[in-house]
Amino acid sequence: MEKLSVHKPEAKAGKKSFGKIFSDLSMPILLVILLIVFSILSKNFFSPTNLVNILMQNAHAAVCACGIMMIMVSGGCDLSIGYQMSVSAVLVTKLLSEGVVSVPVAIILAIALCMVLGAFNGVMGMLLKSHTMIVTLATMSIFQGISYLISNSRVFSGMPDSYLFLGQGRVFGVIPVNVLIMLIIVVIVAIIMGKTSIGRKIYAAGDNPEAARLAGLNVKKIKILVFTFAGLLVGIAAILMSARAGSADSGTSGPGIEFDGITAGVLAGVALKGGEGTLWKVIVAVYALGVLSNGMQLIGLGTYPQYIAKGLIMLLSLYMSNRNAQSM
Amino acid sequence: MQLTVSDCARRAQVRSVRRAAGREEAFPTELELKHITKTYPSVIALNDVSLSFREGEVHALVGENGAGKSTLIKTIAGAIRPDSGEICIDGKSYSHMTPAQSLELGISVVYQEMIQMEAMTVMDNIFMGMKDSKGPFVDDRARYKKTQELLGRFNCHVSPKALIRELSMANRQIIEIAKAVVKNAKVVIMDEPTASITVEEQKNLFKIVDELKSQKVTIIYISHRLEELFEICDRVSVLRDGQYITTVNIDETDKHHLVSLMVGRELSEKYPTKPPCGSEVVLKTEHLSGNGLEDINFELHQGEILGFAGLVGAGRTELMHLIYGSAHRTDGKVWLKGKEVHFHTPADGLKAGIGLIPEDRKYQGCFLEKPLFWNISISNIDTLSHATFVNHKAEMAQAEDYKQKMRIKAPTMTQLAMSLSGGNQQKVVIAKAMASLPDILIFDEPTRGIDVGARQEIYQMMIELTQQGKSILMVSSDMEELLGMSERIVVLYEGHQTGVLQRDEFSQERVMTLASGL
Repeated sequence: MEKLSVHKPEAKAGKKSFGKIFSDLSMPILLVILLIVFSILSKNFFSPTNLVNILMQNAHAAVCACGIMMIMVSGGCDLSIGYQMSVSAVLVTKLLSEGVVSVPVAIILAIALCMVLGAFNGVMGMLLKSHTMIVTLATMSIFQGISYLISNSRVFSGMPDSYLFLGQGRVFGVIPVNVLIMLIIVVIVAIIMGKTSIGRKIYAAGDNPEAARLAGLNVKKIKILVFTFAGLLVGIAAILMSARAGSADSGTSGPGIEFDGITAGVLAGVALKGGEGTLWKVIVAVYALGVLSNGMQLIGLGTYPQYIAKGLIMLLSLYMSNRNAQSM
Repeated sequence: MQLTVSDCARRAQVRSVRRAAGREEAFPTELELKHITKTYPSVIALNDVSLSFREGEVHALVGENGAGKSTLIKTIAGAIRPDSGEICIDGKSYSHMTPAQSLELGISVVYQEMIQMEAMTVMDNIFMGMKDSKGPFVDDRARYKKTQELLGRFNCHVSPKALIRELSMANRQIIEIAKAVVKNAKVVIMDEPTASITVEEQKNLFKIVDELKSQKVTIIYISHRLEELFEICDRVSVLRDGQYITTVNIDETDKHHLVSLMVGRELSEKYPTKPPCGSEVVLKTEHLSGNGLEDINFELHQGEILGFAGLVGAGRTELMHLIYGSAHRTDGKVWLKGKEVHFHTPADGLKAGIGLIPEDRKYQGCFLEKPLFWNISISNIDTLSHATFVNHKAEMAQAEDYKQKMRIKAPTMTQLAMSLSGGNQQKVVIAKAMASLPDILIFDEPTRGIDVGARQEIYQMMIELTQQGKSILMVSSDMEELLGMSERIVVLYEGHQTGVLQRDEFSQERVMTLASGL
């Protein structure tokens, strides 16, 4: 028999501690530091062209990160997102390059397919009663196979201009279309997560599934819904990416993006156990990582040092967040 | 660890001198506890308990839920550290034990929830942590032989190479006992060993106990099945509310005498008086079965507080989940206000007007890392939303409303639930259940781990709820609370209903007798 009662001092309301403010702003601070450092190191870095370039290059990653953030908040994890995107990208580009279907049909197909794949992940997680990280490790392999079956290892290009406009075009000649679409999606997801009852239930299901179940929430349904919705976002991201690149293939159109998304999520303080996470921080983290790779490219450090830098930043952020947690 | 040469050691010397003089005591003391006290923030778990265990005896510890049995064995096993008192073993006195020390001194505990390496073999589990070979390599052949021999003695015929997870509960228990024997344990503590095994297996267990006894091993036996104590025990010690009551020889007592020793506390706390309930039946079960329960029949009247008594493992919480829809019903019927209902999920129960205040506040009730208003509105968030958009103003207003009504002590409702005391957290959980406007409330251990002041407030709140026409099912392990608050009490024993007591039949002994299945 253990009777313990919590008698922590009642926290002072209203006043935020320095540590709390710091951890709230750590992503913008990181972004600003990176911007300053690369502006000093490279004279080409802080130019409008390059900055817009960074925005455009990472728009699809930001859309993906929205989906990953929702999944992580609901207490899941999706490793299959990269190949989910790959399946969708090669399908849509194959259909378009062969001129089989019109652009709107191709887009709808791509998005619907990703939703089915996402729902499959969610349903499998529920039926197998396993952590979705393991389930999606398996489905990742399945999606990889499907993607290569569709593409037969070919690269597809030669899509119509109206499709390429989604990734390369500009509204009024200034605002990049893909960045605009990304911003609209970020706003929608932010509203869903922050302002709606559905968002509230997603947080509850991730924070404490048993308490959520006993509070009358259908936790399984919520999780399947989240995976399906994330599939929708991944489908959109696949279109944005293939339209910007002008081509797609199974190996590079998507795979790896799940790790960028999860990295951004962890950097932004999305709890791996679920129930916690703020979308704008995740998006800022995506762009901080984007600035890092762009900047390193400009100062002549290639892809491999970038991997090392990303890993080091992640370790540093884990150290910082642990210190914060302990000082609370 | 404090090592004092006290009278304990001196007495051991005296004993050996006496032995030498040929006046050997009939029952030398193996283990002695002196004036052990252990307090937790809200409760005194052990209050000046002194007990001695003799060599080669089977000594039972009995008491109600919360009497201090578990705390006592944890003290002996070194899992917790008492505030004061001494533990004497081998003529040495210790202020407390560590788990390693207690093992080294020959104390082994066979816990009810066995902690074993499920994916490893029987022999590896038995020899876990033992140095039984000289070099760096494990001598599997020797282990195999020794294990087989040992299990043969216990009439247990599993292969030493079988994996633990393939074994039945009874065999796993025997493995735990074998582990103790391999370590040359002098004291073996068994915590509810018969709770999850069959009658046949129980007979074998008793044989093993006899075998250990014949080898002068002291056995401390904890069980709530009083009848079995008369089969195997030599002496019984009774604890009540953390106090040592007495030790009796088993042949000088009977079940009813034991029950009267286990209860018989003074009702000290004051309970608010409750106006009598109505006569309308709001909830009725007939032959309700499932989730470990069988054939449960009761009626709940409007405005009534119906108590549920039983010992740990009797199935009270499981019954509540069955009624709420969070567990699967296999048979029987439930009527809600005269209509038969079939709940498959908690959402069904909630929608039909049942609210649950779960047993485990921290893991089932609260979202600790979320704000208070968030906690309160999670069950009725849909009614606070328009086209799925949460009306934050209405949500905050609801939170403030409950803060006032329930007297939740928190500066603001935007604070996180984990910053509140247990009593205030409980009020938040009650507010959450209330927010979906239930007619029937299930309070599972409403005041566990809550200080006296907040407890009175929660009692008052329950009375107010019944005055508003709500009906309450209350599970409690606190006998006083049950007798003080309930209008009738349903008593369960191992998944069966053993009786329903009316208010004028209430007595601690009656409840305890039924809860012990007598």
